[in-house]
Amino acid sequence: MIPVEHYVLLSALLFVIGGVGFLVRRNVLVALMSIEVMLNAANLALVAYNRSHLARGVAQTYGGQSHTGQVLAFFIIAAEAAEVAVGLAIVLALYRLRRTVRSDEADLLRN
Amino acid sequence: MSPLFPVHDYTLIAVILGMPLLGAFVNGVWGKRLGNQAVKMMALSAVGLSFAASIIAFASLVGAVGPEKDAHVKLSWTAWEWMHTTGGRGISIPIDVKFSIDQLSGVMMLVVTGVGFLIHLYATSYMEKDKGFARFFAYMNLFIFSMLVLILGDNLPVLFVGWEGVGLCSYLLIGFWYENGANAAAGKKAFIANRVGDFGLLCAMFLLAWYTGALDWNGIANGASSLANPSDALRVHVWPLGNGTYTGVLSFLQPGYFQAHHTAVLENIMPRAPVTISAATAVGLALLLGCTGKSAQIPLYVWLPDAMAGPTPVSALIHAATMVTAGIYLICRLSFVFVLSPFVMVVIAVVGVSTALLAASIAVVQTDIKKVLAYSTVSQLGFMFLGVGVGAFAAGFFHVFTHAFFKACLFLGAGSVIHAMHARVHDDDAAQDIRNMGGLRKWLPLTHGTFAAATAAIIGVPLTSGFFSKDEILYRAYVDRTVNPLAGTGILRGHGVYSPPEWIGHALYWAAVAAAAMTAFYMCRLYILTFWGSFRGWTVGRPSLLARQELATGTHGGDESHEEEHHPHREDLLSPGYPPHESPWQMTVPLIVLATFSVFAGFLNPGFVKVEKPMEHWLDPVFKTATEGAVIVREGNEWTLALGGIGAFLLGTVLAWWVYIEKKGQPAEQAKAWSPALYKLLLEKWRVDELYEATVIAGLDSLAETSAAVDRGIVDGVLARLTALLVAASGTVLRAFQNGVVQMYAATMVVGLASVGWFFTVPHANATVADAGNDDYLVTAAPGVGYAYRWDADGDGKPDKPDFGSQETLKVHVLPGTTTLVSFEVKNAFGFTRTKKLTVARPQAPVTSL
Amino acid sequence: MAALGTAYFYLCALLAVGGAVSVVAAKNPIRCAMGLLLLILSVAGLFLALHAQFLAAIQLIVYAGAIVILFLFVIMLLGPAASTPSDRRGLAVRVFGGGLFGVAGLTSLTLVARAAETAHRVLPMPVPDASFGGIEAFGSVLFQDTLVPFEVSSGLLMVAVVGAIAVARGRQGSHSMSPAEQEIRGRAPSQDPLRELHPSGVFSHELPPGDDAKGQSA
Repeated sequence: MIPVEHYVLLSALLFVIGGVGFLVRRNVLVALMSIEVMLNAANLALVAYNRSHLARGVAQTYGGQSHTGQVLAFFIIAAEAAEVAVGLAIVLALYRLRRTVRSDEADLLRN
Repeated sequence: MSPLFPVHDYTLIAVILGMPLLGAFVNGVWGKRLGNQAVKMMALSAVGLSFAASIIAFASLVGAVGPEKDAHVKLSWTAWEWMHTTGGRGISIPIDVKFSIDQLSGVMMLVVTGVGFLIHLYATSYMEKDKGFARFFAYMNLFIFSMLVLILGDNLPVLFVGWEGVGLCSYLLIGFWYENGANAAAGKKAFIANRVGDFGLLCAMFLLAWYTGALDWNGIANGASSLANPSDALRVHVWPLGNGTYTGVLSFLQPGYFQAHHTAVLENIMPRAPVTISAATAVGLALLLGCTGKSAQIPLYVWLPDAMAGPTPVSALIHAATMVTAGIYLICRLSFVFVLSPFVMVVIAVVGVSTALLAASIAVVQTDIKKVLAYSTVSQLGFMFLGVGVGAFAAGFFHVFTHAFFKACLFLGAGSVIHAMHARVHDDDAAQDIRNMGGLRKWLPLTHGTFAAATAAIIGVPLTSGFFSKDEILYRAYVDRTVNPLAGTGILRGHGVYSPPEWIGHALYWAAVAAAAMTAFYMCRLYILTFWGSFRGWTVGRPSLLARQELATGTHGGDESHEEEHHPHREDLLSPGYPPHESPWQMTVPLIVLATFSVFAGFLNPGFVKVEKPMEHWLDPVFKTATEGAVIVREGNEWTLALGGIGAFLLGTVLAWWVYIEKKGQPAEQAKAWSPALYKLLLEKWRVDELYEATVIAGLDSLAETSAAVDRGIVDGVLARLTALLVAASGTVLRAFQNGVVQMYAATMVVGLASVGWFFTVPHANATVADAGNDDYLVTAAPGVGYAYRWDADGDGKPDKPDFGSQETLKVHVLPGTTTLVSFEVKNAFGFTRTKKLTVARPQAPVTSL
Repeated sequence: MAALGTAYFYLCALLAVGGAVSVVAAKNPIRCAMGLLLLILSVAGLFLALHAQFLAAIQLIVYAGAIVILFLFVIMLLGPAASTPSDRRGLAVRVFGGGLFGVAGLTSLTLVARAAETAHRVLPMPVPDASFGGIEAFGSVLFQDTLVPFEVSSGLLMVAVVGAIAVARGRQGSHSMSPAEQEIRGRAPSQDPLRELHPSGVFSHELPPGDDAKGQSA
């Protein structure tokens, strides 16, 4: 069996990749996508821990097994969908305003 | 009256004080709107009612004193309780707003309100065309109120309130025409010179509160003995200051230093023992400073000549009759304090007579009519100081009384002259110059008569008031000796006592005679040049246009006031403009009243005519305790000594007549040519103002300049700019973080995140030590996620147990006076460890002594 | 069987990392989107290995089926403007931020790995029921224990829809009216001939790609 630490390591690696991508890339769309990557990494960790700690907790159980991680991952996906929708709307508004999708040209709040 | 106004709750004083205050308030706030007539009525009725109430009060006082007239009676009234302060030896001194009328203040009160009323009447006509009419009368009423507070105050703080009030009103009234900068400067000068004196008065108040434990007249009198106590603890230490000791670098300032080191010259000059003065001397000198400020003596007289910049009624009221006499009033009030120090008495007398001489010498050469009268006032005040300085308090006060009348009359007369000249000459400065006057007695008969009467009084024509008062002072200056009142008792045995030298009486007498002679000379000079001879002002200034027109057309219309006042003589009309005219009745009636008093008031205290001296007898209860044992009046022949006074009068008058009438002023011109330097020095008032300017004012100016430079250079230039620079620099640095790009903000968040992560990754070893009783200490390690601990409590440097366990606390037994070294290591889940060493000590139990 | 499971895990892991790296590093935004898609598919696969069947399905439907599509729409809409030239502006900040994050992240990775090693414990994973991670399990938990968050998240989605419309629509003014609307209201339609061919819709007339139409808000 794959120990849960492997999954967590993978999640951490994906998170780091996503985070670096967000901080380095200037294309706003790619930055948004990097955020997706990070959230997926988080979901992976949640589900992995849920798999390895089945009997913990008294809430979110079905059949005596806890489903907390999966349910939380579910909500993350839902919220994250909303976030993407609004984020892309903002990207479009930015484009209309400044004709660009570069984040370093979206500096109207400078100083 | 007595059931209505009992002696200890004499509420009529509230009317006396309240009426002028009300008048000031109404005129000040609504005067402009009410109009000149209403303002006139308000002001006159205020002072008039106050005068009427003063008369009633005086009558009550006479009744209360009784036929014997030896009791010191006070009609007092407490308005309210003001405050408490702590005096010497922790005594609580209550300070109430309390007023009282006794024999001394009763007379003064009558003078102030009576002369004040006459001058108010005069001013209603004099200031008629002035646009500040209401403001003027508001200030004048306020002045009367303040002066009454000063006189009627029953304790020093209330007197001080009045003292400051009259100073304020003097400032306001001197600078009444404030648009002219010179007038405002004169007002400022008066106020500042007064302020310097007030400092002295305040110091005296503090000393009195400390030594006598009271600030009201009765209380001070009761506690006055401690002022003259010769024991060292109760004397004022002048050097070293505050009875300290100079050590180290400053040890050369210690008395006796130069004597111990046998330094050549200094061992004879510098003191060999600590220098102390008696408290009475300190208080007296401090009070004297205050009085020289208010009463214009050396060194603070410089404001009074400048104060002539104010309107003439102001000069008459404030700077002749009332305010300047406040200093002498204070000395009379606290006579029992002053006599405790013969040294101060001598100083007062010497200051007085020197000022008299100095001012008289300056007055001899002045050409402005008001300036001559101003220096004359300073000189006469010097006489009053001389009088009180030799212990003749009643005589000095009597001179205050008579001086009020004749000086006010002189000033008002001068105002009348200026009024007449101004209509003719239309130039402020030229209208007051006596070189432009002459022969005015033709056109100003009433003014001339009253002015002559007052002049006769001031120069000491026999049987006038000035004659009696001045000669009394001269007599007493010669015969009096002031001694320490405790000299006869055994208290002062073994202590050195100051006693005035034997020759002081003679010196004072002759100096005063010289001043009296000069007084006669310059007053006669003034009188002659103004009223006799021929009018020299025809060609000065712009003659009235109206007169010239009438001359051209041959008609003589003009206003009614001119019709009655002079006859249209042909030769007068030929000269450009009308000649000067007499003043209206509001101005002449006060002159007549005052002139009458100047001539006849002397009989209230005729000196050596050897009849009853009513005024002196009246004031006896006030000054009795003071003069008993302190002032010794030797026997002297009054008539002989009076000859000195009469001789001075004759000398001065005859000389003036000879110079100005006989020789038409020629000898004066010759004297000027003979010593132009002396003439210039006298004309420039002995350059005293310039001296002050060069020393005191220059010093203050340079101090101000330095402060301003420091403020500009250091505070503004360095400190302010430095802080601004720091803020701007940090702003510039911090602003770089706000570039509007989201990734920058995210990067900053990462930094924060990394710090938090570091905090959690690295183990933290902290411990607290608590006393667990029974000589035990409990060492508790700070908890953390996944921490394991390893302890070492026996001080051997090796852990007690090789494994990391979860034991968080350790109990250590520490005996008193010993210390134990405890160390522990922390390991967190990541395998990092950290060590911490603690020293646990218990102090030795304190040994309790029985 | 265990070897198969291990191989499956490593395959999915490799694809996931590859997809993530592609998202982060590719120049062409379409390539990034495709990388994202690959990542999502891999993660779905890993969910399956973890007995989270329902979640895997949801992941595919929502993520791959909606979100990635959304991304692609926007990229297509932007057209050539979607890809940005890379230059060295702001390099210092980016390198610093990314570097610090990477260092911190990798450090924590190493620490976790070490801790796992030192723990010396390989706890056996418990064996789940067949119903674990299924629809029934999910539904009962969702609608009973986590009902409130469930309803709130539906509200959240509603708000997000409204917000997206509001943000993307832009200002209310003549320039934001469709050509048909402008004709009706008597205003001259914009000069762009292509505009009249576009059907009036919420977004389409807003952004003729690359065309600086008049009347647009600045």
